[in-house]
Order: sequence, then structure tokens, then C-alpha cells
Amino acid sequence: MNANLLEKARVAPPPESDPQVEQRLVKRAKCGDLEAYDGLVRRYQERIYATIYHMTANHEDANDLAQETFIKAYQALKSFKGDSSFFTWVYRIAVNKTINFLKQRKNKTHMSLNDLDFNTEHDADLLALISEKTPRREVNLIELQEKLNIAMQKLSQVHRLVVTLHDVQGLSHEEISRIMDCNTGTVRSRLFYARQQLQAYLSDYLK
Amino acid sequence: MNPAPQDFDQLRKLLALKRHEQPPPGYFNHFSDKVIARIEAQGLVMRPSWRQRLFPELDAKPVLACAYGLIITGLLVVGLGVSQSLESEESPAPTLGSPWFAQTPAPASLSSGAAVARPLTGQTDLTSSVDPVFTSSPPRFLFDVNQLRFERASYDLH
Repeated sequence: MNANLLEKARVAPPPESDPQVEQRLVKRAKCGDLEAYDGLVRRYQERIYATIYHMTANHEDANDLAQETFIKAYQALKSFKGDSSFFTWVYRIAVNKTINFLKQRKNKTHMSLNDLDFNTEHDADLLALISEKTPRREVNLIELQEKLNIAMQKLSQVHRLVVTLHDVQGLSHEEISRIMDCNTGTVRSRLFYARQQLQAYLSDYLK
Repeated sequence: MNPAPQDFDQLRKLLALKRHEQPPPGYFNHFSDKVIARIEAQGLVMRPSWRQRLFPELDAKPVLACAYGLIITGLLVVGLGVSQSLESEESPAPTLGSPWFAQTPAPASLSSGAAVARPLTGQTDLTSSVDPVFTSSPPRFLFDVNQLRFERASYDLH
């Protein structure tokens, strides 16, 4: 139970700060206040970038798409009625942009992976996964990273997206259903199928 | 559809590795600056309307918009009331039996019933629109028709 709680706490996205602050920023940005829009970008840049990066497995593509997402969001800001949170709305733009991009790119996958951060070597779960296999942990973490990304790229776009949003980004089924504009049952079944696929691709690394 | 429960615990631990993939250090320090620079370069900066500039909070709070509307309507009503009361104080409406009528001398034409000749121009004395009596003498216009003289014109053709 504790392990689950720890996992959840680590996976869960950073707590949303006061939604009223977000509303105020959106309102000011609508009036042409670029400083306010800058605040909104800073608020979500990491999560938007990460989602696109995990979908494309390419830093340069993720950089371009993330910038374009925020530019597109600014252009469409007048049409934002506030029915959903700004966060969900921007996520939707990012997801649509990324899926369109991947459709155009089709099978021309060129991975440009980011480096693993320093904390990787201190992640007990990851170490447990590889410790029995080899004493050269660093090499195997990088190898594992590549294998994982290759496996992710084998998934269809919607399945990759669900795994990214839920298992990597830590969004709830409800949030994902709002972003993907489908019901939570669909999210759950897609997640199940995607995990099954990944488990099969990575069976050598999962005991 | 409820998928059958299955243990994905190991997989989820492995997927946690993705969270350790980070862009180059300092990447996010200038990310928003680049976005803003591109927005400005593409000329996309929104200009607020005069209403948004004056009352930026109206869009977010409809109650406030109603309050503004009520205040403005109230001010208009009060303004109208004040202006009407001022008008009535300065020039009271002519009503029968009012002091205004008593102070105004009755025109002779009305009292005697005879037409009184009054010059229409020059010494015009139109004190009231209730005395539409014209003079018998013609008005002195710039081109007085009664004083026109005809002169024969002769042209020497040779």
C-alpha cells in the first residue's frame, strides 16, 4: 500500500495552483497582456513539452511542437470560453498538433532522446529492475531507455497517448477523457490494451 | 468495458524511467521567451477593445456588468429628472390662471378686437406666439417690392 501511495505521489502532476489565478491570467492575456500569457506558458511548458516528447521520442520535434502549441493557443485564446480549464484546453491543442504531426511523419521515426537525469541512478524501482541483470547500471539504464522508447513507438498514437498521459504524466482517467474527448471507459480499455502491448514488447526486461 | 485485472506493476515501474528523461539543463528558462518572441514576430499580439480597456473585469463577472448597467441607467434617469426640474423653474409652462399670464399685459388687439399695425421687421415686438398679428405695412426687406422703380434701358448699338 505504501509503495502504491508513494508511486501515486510521485506520478501525480504538480498540484494546480489557484484556478482563480489562472482565470485572471487568461483574462489579462485576452486583453493583449503578453506578460500574463508568459505566466501561462511558464505554468504548463514542462508538462506540454513532456507529453509531446514522449509521443515523438524526439527533442527537436517536441521543442517545435510545444512552441507551436502555445502560439496556436494564443491565436485561439479569444475563442476560449472557460468551459474547461486552460490546462485541459492547451493539452487538447498539443495532442491534436502532435497526432497530426505523427500522421504526416508516419513511420519515419527518428529518435532524439533526452538524457536521463541524475535521479535515475537513485530510483530504487529502476535499480531493482536492472540490478540482477548486470553490474554496469549506467549502460543498462540507457539501453533500457532506448528499448522502452522503441516499444512506445510501436504503439498506435492513441494508445501511446493514453500511456503517456496516465503512466508517465500521472493524469487521472477523467482528465485524460476530457483531453481526448472520450469517456473514461474508453480511456481504461485503451490503457489496458496499451499496457498489454508494452508488456509483450518488453518481456525481456520484466520479470 | 471493464478490462480484466492484470499486474502491470513491473511495467509501470519501467515506464517511470521516462520521467527521468529531461531536456538540456536550462531549456525551460528561455522557452516562454521564445514563444512570446515568435508571437510578436508574427504580429499576433491582441489589441484590447476600448471596452476591455475601460472595464477589463466585465467579461469575467457578469454581475459586475449588470451593476454597471444599473448605475448608468440610474444616473441617466436622475440626470433627466434634474434637467426637467431646472427647465420648469427657469421657464414655467404657460397655464391659464398662472402668475405668468397675469404679469403679461394683454395685447390691445386681443382686448379691443381690432387689428393693430405692428412692424414685422425692425421694431418687431413678438412677445408671444399667441399674438400672430401682422402689420399692414409691408416689411422692409432688402429688396422692397413697393419701392422698386423701373427704368428704361437704352443701348447704343452704333
